[in-house]
Amino acid sequence: MAKKEENSYGKAMNELQTLMNEIESNQLDIDQLMNKVKRASELIKFCKKQLTKTNEDIQKVLDELDKE
Amino acid sequence: MRTNNLSLFELNNLVRGVLELELSSMYWIVAETSDVRKNQNGHCYLELIQRDSSARSIIAKARAMIWSNTFSLLKPYFEETTQQRFSSGLKILIQVSISFHELYGYSLTIHDIDPSYTLGDQAKKRAEIVKQLDEDGVLLLNKELPIPQPLQRLAIISSPTAAGYEDFCHQLHSNVFHFVFYDKLFPATMQGEQTENSVLNALDKIYQFKDLFDAVVIIRGGGATSELSSFDSYLLASSCAQFPLPIFVGIGHDRDQTVLDIVANTSAKTPTAVAEFIINENLSQWNLINTTASRIKEISEKRFNHDFLTLKKIQMATSLMLKQKMQEQLINLQWYKKTIEKTCFFTLSREEDQVANAVESLANHAQSAFKQANLLLDSMQKNIELQSPENLLKKGYTYILKDQKLIKNKRDLKIGDEIETVFHDGTINSVIK
Repeated sequence: MAKKEENSYGKAMNELQTLMNEIESNQLDIDQLMNKVKRASELIKFCKKQLTKTNEDIQKVLDELDKE
Repeated sequence: MRTNNLSLFELNNLVRGVLELELSSMYWIVAETSDVRKNQNGHCYLELIQRDSSARSIIAKARAMIWSNTFSLLKPYFEETTQQRFSSGLKILIQVSISFHELYGYSLTIHDIDPSYTLGDQAKKRAEIVKQLDEDGVLLLNKELPIPQPLQRLAIISSPTAAGYEDFCHQLHSNVFHFVFYDKLFPATMQGEQTENSVLNALDKIYQFKDLFDAVVIIRGGGATSELSSFDSYLLASSCAQFPLPIFVGIGHDRDQTVLDIVANTSAKTPTAVAEFIINENLSQWNLINTTASRIKEISEKRFNHDFLTLKKIQMATSLMLKQKMQEQLINLQWYKKTIEKTCFFTLSREEDQVANAVESLANHAQSAFKQANLLLDSMQKNIELQSPENLLKKGYTYILKDQKLIKNKRDLKIGDEIETVFHDGTINSVIK
């Protein structure tokens, strides 16, 4: 479970980078631009959340290592 | 029978005398320490040995001691310089004086020490370990591991009582950026002889759960007698070098790095510095996200503004064109209006004139026609008057009436008819004969 968490951040950052490149290329029409900006916004929010919001599950798993 | 025999004491005393006389008071020697111990008076007793080149067998040995007043100066000086506890198994460069005691035999008294020799020796040993690790192909393995992002889940190897550990955790969990971290302590002894084994055990345990962590942190507080020699272990360094998670080390080295520092993915001077490093990794990510966000915002704003401006331009241009067209049409209409007015005016004027002319001409014609008719009438009247019976009667003509009827023909009369003959001045009745 923890590994998946890690990968999703990485995936999000990669997707964000791709979106950024597409947006910078300036070859999108307004609709596409809006959609991509919206998606980028979601990803940014997600990544920031990863860095600053506690995920209870992770700490719980680590705490339970003592019992093994 | 011999008479010239000495007592043992005398012999020993002789030897002592010779030694004291013949040899200079101090020598600088290199030796290896062994069996180092300190008694309650503060004096340090040890054995000095020298091994052969294979380092297996001892070829020289001597007892030695350091007086407590010397030792109280020497020990901190040595340990601070070498970052190493004064203990057995060290190669040292010392200034000694020889003493030979009748009872205690040969021993050396240590007066001074040059720690740089030990440092040099340490450095040499370290270099050898590093070389070996390089030859094994593992030296750079941990350094080459990419640091997982986000860097949040940490396996900490430290002593729970060490101040370094508490400071580290506090710093991480109260960082100003509010980054979250998850940590688990794997306790170990961080100094003394058990360090190597203890840390290796901790690493083994962490290895079982390596998927739950992003990195391993090995930390301990510094201090005057930091004694880092345990971290110059080949075994420990090799394990760390090959560990599948990046290892961050903050064991309080001052000058030289230990082999562990060299092999670790990242090495810092103190646990605090390690915490700072970890927080900065997260900060980099945070900044990267923000930069990306700003960039995207900038570009899309630019784009929207550009499109908005374009639309506005089109709107304005259209509006302007419209206005112009309307103006043109207005001018046209006004021109038409004027033209029509003028034309109407002219036409009307002309018609009016024509009517006036016609009326006048009609009047004239009427008048002359009237005049002519009058003249005609006059002449007709004159003619009629001339032709009037009165005039004729006046002229001497008469007309005849019979039975009140006018007689125009002779034949109409027969003899005996009574006629009336009308003269201008009266009638005469007659009978025809």
